Order: sequence, then C-alpha cells, then structure tokens
Amino acid sequence: MNAMALPGTLDELAAQSHWAVETHGLTKRFGANAAVNGVELLVPRGSAFGYLGPNGAGKTTLIRVLLGLTHADAGTMSLLGYQVPRHRDAALARIGAIVDEPRFHGHLTGRQNLRLLAAAREPAARERIGPLLERVGLAHRADDRVVTYSMGMRQRLGVAACLLGDPQLLILDEPMNGLDPAGIAGMRELILSLVAEGRTVVLSSHLLDEVERTCDAVAIVDRGSVLAQGPISEMLAGARTALQVECGDAGRARALLAGTTLGASIEVVPTPLGLEITLPGGTGRGVTAEINRILVSGGIPVYRLQPVQTSLETWFLQVTSRLGDPE
Amino acid sequence: MTVVPAGGVPAPDQPVPVASAGLARDRRGSPVPTLSMIATRFMELRRRRGLMIGVAVVNVGIPALFMGIRLLLHAIAPRTNPPAGNFVIFAVLGPGLLSTFGFIAAAVVGCTAGSRDLSEGMFRNLVVTGRSRLALYLARIPAALAIVVPLVATGYIIICAVSAFAAPTFIDDWNVNIPPGLSRAGFESWASEHAVPVICGLYHGRIPRDVECASPPRWSKSALAPGSSAPPRVEALAIVAARQNYARYAGIIRRPSASLMIRTGLWIELEAVVGVIVGLGLASLMGQRLIPVIVIMVLQLILTPVLTYVTIPHLQDLQRSLMGLAMAHLEPSGLPVVVGVPGVTGGVGGSGTAALLPESATQAAWVIVAWLAGWTILGAWRMMTRDA
Repeated sequence: MNAMALPGTLDELAAQSHWAVETHGLTKRFGANAAVNGVELLVPRGSAFGYLGPNGAGKTTLIRVLLGLTHADAGTMSLLGYQVPRHRDAALARIGAIVDEPRFHGHLTGRQNLRLLAAAREPAARERIGPLLERVGLAHRADDRVVTYSMGMRQRLGVAACLLGDPQLLILDEPMNGLDPAGIAGMRELILSLVAEGRTVVLSSHLLDEVERTCDAVAIVDRGSVLAQGPISEMLAGARTALQVECGDAGRARALLAGTTLGASIEVVPTPLGLEITLPGGTGRGVTAEINRILVSGGIPVYRLQPVQTSLETWFLQVTSRLGDPE
Repeated sequence: MTVVPAGGVPAPDQPVPVASAGLARDRRGSPVPTLSMIATRFMELRRRRGLMIGVAVVNVGIPALFMGIRLLLHAIAPRTNPPAGNFVIFAVLGPGLLSTFGFIAAAVVGCTAGSRDLSEGMFRNLVVTGRSRLALYLARIPAALAIVVPLVATGYIIICAVSAFAAPTFIDDWNVNIPPGLSRAGFESWASEHAVPVICGLYHGRIPRDVECASPPRWSKSALAPGSSAPPRVEALAIVAARQNYARYAGIIRRPSASLMIRTGLWIELEAVVGVIVGLGLASLMGQRLIPVIVIMVLQLILTPVLTYVTIPHLQDLQRSLMGLAMAHLEPSGLPVVVGVPGVTGGVGGSGTAALLPESATQAAWVIVAWLAGWTILGAWRMMTRDA
C-alpha cells in the first residue's frame, strides 16, 4: 500500500488498531549479543505503560529500534497501527520521544531548539512552542541558552519537544533521571495529565516506585527479553506474597508447617519474632486462615498474622531473579 | 513543575485526533527540505559565536585590516607609503589569501553543519520527527552557504573596492610617477620632458656624472612636473631609457579590470561552495568535525600544491582528480602567478598553467562537479543509514 496515494485509508486502518505499540519477535543484535531478543510487546492505546528493566536490559535499544534510530535484525512492529519501517514517517508524525538523556544544542536557547525541531514537523508545531514551554514550566528560562539548564530543565525541555507534534504516543526513556523529588512529582503529574488527554505514554524506567505510581500496565524486560507484561494489578495479583507471623517456638512452628500439605508450596524462614512465610502467587486468604489453624491446633501461640502486600519492586526482583535459574 | 493546558493540545478526556489537517498536508517523507528547516538550520549555525567569529575574521577581518592599514599609512604619509590598492595586492589578497583560507573556513562551516547534530545529540531528536533524513541533510547545504557566501563576498568586495578605487593614479614601479596609457612615442616624449628622473629611475646603464639623482618624490598622487630642460645629450639618454622599459611599462596593470574582478569573484565563491560541500559530506561521513577539518587542511595546503606541480608516472589521472588542481585550471586568466599560494597559478591559458599538470577546462569542470556530487551523495548516504 502506498501511504502517499491512500492517506485516508492508511490512517483509518491504523486507527482501528487497539495497540499503540505492537511487536512480534523483534530482535536486535550487536555481534553475538542480542540486546533485543524476540520481544513480543503489546501496549494498549490510551494507557501509561511502564517498560521496566535493570540497567543494560535492552530498554533503550528497543526504543531506538521502534523509532527507527537503528534497524531491527528480525521481527515485525507497528506504531499506532502503522507498520514500520514501511510507514515510519506517518507513524513518527504522531509520536513524540525522548531517547536516553535529552540532549540539545547547548549554544541555542530552549525556544530556539524547539524551533529547530518544530521546523522538521508540520507547520502547526511552531505555534505550539510557547504554550508547551508554559506547560512544562520553562517559559521563564525559554530564552536562556540550554548549556545553562539543569538536568531537570533539560528533561522538561525534552518533554516539550515530544509534544511539539501533538502526539498520540509518547515514548519517554528514563524521564525521571536527574530530577529532584519535586521534579519527579511534577513529571508524574505531567505524564498523568497526558494520559488523561487520551495519549499513550510508554515509560522506560528502572525507578519502580515511580512506575507503579504512574503506569497502568508494565512489561518487565531483562537481557533483551520481555519476561512478563500486563496490567500492574493483574501482575501483582499473581505475585508471591509474604505472611509475617508473630508466634512462640518458631522452630516447632516451622516443623509443623513443613509436615502439612502446605509445606511443599510455601517457604518458611524464621525471624526474631516468629516466621516469615512466602506464599505462591494467587494464594487466597483461606491459606492464611489454614496456617493459623495448623499453628494454633499444634499448640503454638500465635500473636499476630500480617500479610505483606507485594510491591512492584518486590515482584520485579522476583521475576528478574528467575533469570538464569535452571528451568 | 507547572502543568497547565497547552494551546493546540486537547484538553483532558477529549480524544486525540487521528490525523490533523496539518498532518494531512505534511509531506514529511519528501527529500526536499522546507524553507523553515533551512532557516532554522541557518540560525543554528549563525548562533555559533566561535565559528562565526573565525569565519568572519578570515574572510572579512584580515582583508579589511590589511587594506585599512594600507589606506591609513598612505593617508598619513603619502610620500613614503604607496597607495593602498593595486593589481598585485588584489591578486595576493583575492585569488591568493581569500581563495585558500576562505576555502578552509568554508570547509570548517561545512564540517560543523555536518557533524554537530550528531555530536550534540540533536540528530536523534530530528530523526524521531519522521522527517526524511535526506531532507535533513540537504537543508544544511543552503544554510551553510548562506553563512559562507555573503562573508566571502564581503571580504572580496573590500579587496576589490580598495584595489580599484585606491589604486595609484600613476605608474610608480620605478619611483617615477608615469602617466598610464602612453603610446611608445608618447612615453618617449614624456621621458625627454623628465630626463633626469627617468635616467635616475629607469636607465639600465651608467648614469652620466652631470645628472644629479636626488631622491624622487615617492608615491605622490600627482605626476612629476616637467623639470627644467635638460641638455640634448641627457634627453636622448632618457629616450633610450624609455625604449628599454616600454614593454614593461605597457604590461603594468594599475588596477584589476571589472571583468577580471567579476570572474575572480565567481571563482572564489565556487571555491567556497566546494569547501562547504566537501566539509559537509566528509563530516557527515565520519560523524565528527576535527578529523575532517585536518584532512581538508592537509589536502589543500600540503598535498594539492605538491601533487599539482609534479608528474607521477601512472598516477596522472589520479592527480587530475584533485579538486585543487581542477580549481587552479579554472582560475580566471589574467591573474599573475603567486608563488607558494596553492591554487593561484595564472589561470586557464595564463602564465602559471604551463607548470601545472595538464588538464583541460572541461575536465577540470567535471572534476569539480564530481567532487560536489560525490561528497553530497556520500554524506547523505551516511546520514540516511547511520544509527542515531
């Protein structure tokens, strides 16, 4: 299909896609090292999506492949329903992105840098410069040279650059890097407002707490592969949970639990106050009651049972720590 | 961070449009850069203070300073300092200095335009706009030329203006102010009227004892007033001196002609254009500025002068593909040979071309075209295929 010949048809087809980002078997190699290894990724439109992974996991490389900054070695991908690289220009016209740290010409002012980028976009982009500088809180420094900006100001200028094209999809690579707590809160507020406007925001980060506060869904990536993805609530529901038990005679309590049918599916670790029991993902409240019953009927005094809610960070560590384990 | 609604951006809960009218008109995949892209790229280059100062100093500052000092010295002491302009000064500063160092300055501008987006991290920001990488590359060419061409023209106009308007009124090469444009008979007649200074200044032989050679008024703006009549023997000797020197007298050019200035100006601008294009292509290819600048300087200042005047067996065609040699062959005729300045050789059919490796003007023109096209293709190809 020719994008220039049938623009309406192409746009209509693209608009029918439910996914803002869709990849299948996407692979990018640097020599023998697969930085992106058969990635299957589905990012729903209108969501804030976290792309999580430790340093060196391949997060930035995936973003670079998606945006055409480097070519893929295998696999297919589409952005906002447009097949790329075939219709990359049409897709990128509707996308804003910060890749790696935001960098600009230091000898130009923030406004001049935005003018340079707006000139490469549609004519209306230039009219958005002023309002966007207001929006990201840089209006008062817009005519200062970027070399005098702090890292946080450059991040905000990067977000303004992303929004020049009034994008439907924003891809932000580590947008919280270098920000102070107030800056992080402001960035979070900005991202949430962008999602509220109906845009899709893909957020690559290793700041799990921030992602948990900002995103609806996540994908966990390590060593180039997506390990898990989905809505955060569903992911955490399937994660292992911990149960802190304050009780007497922890040694006998541990032996009692090990002798039951639960013993095979739980991990019991003694603590100064009693036991910490790790329950498998999806465990219901009934198991907690069953543990209590076993201990009490065994003559163990139970003073307190406290389920500990699994955080995204805990779950992330659980998922990534499985990497490299024998299957 | 302040979060306020932005103009042109939908308010919360309003759907983001699939394709705005602006996008429908947007020809983002086109390889043709927009005027706005060229203008902002020009702005980006113009705001580089160090670069602009350097290029302005080379192209305008040095000629202006040199000519200014000569004008000042002549104005202060016209009897001891020659007029600021003349043909030789024009040849040294214009085709000599401006073409050589103007080329290098132009190449530095090209190298900057071709590498700074990459080194300063803006390249990826530009690529993710979806704009054709070829258009991004091509936008740099007119932007860089818009910096270089006017500066070269300004410097050259200063040189031409001083060379033409502050040229000596009289031919003064022998410390004898001689009216220009005399015929042989007129020259001899003038010599007989100014026998003593002519014998003192021009005569190649033993000067008679009765001729007193006082210091002549050097660089005077007026012709020598006729002296007191000399003995017939001295006048005859002056006529002999005039005959001896007429050929040299007739060959002296006080100021460059308008035609020569125009042709030379176009040639110098062509050299600057080539400098920009080669610098841009090489820097884009290598992804940096420093090494390409060094390579171009070595090529222009060392290799070209050497390879232009020697003939290496079996490698003459390779030598003929040198841009500097081709430019030398395209140099306007009528310029003098300026020894030691690359590229200034006497022009097509001029006295200096005999020493050059032979090459026709057509061949030279094709070499220039090949350099322009080749480096543009290489630079654009690398920009289109480079990881951002």
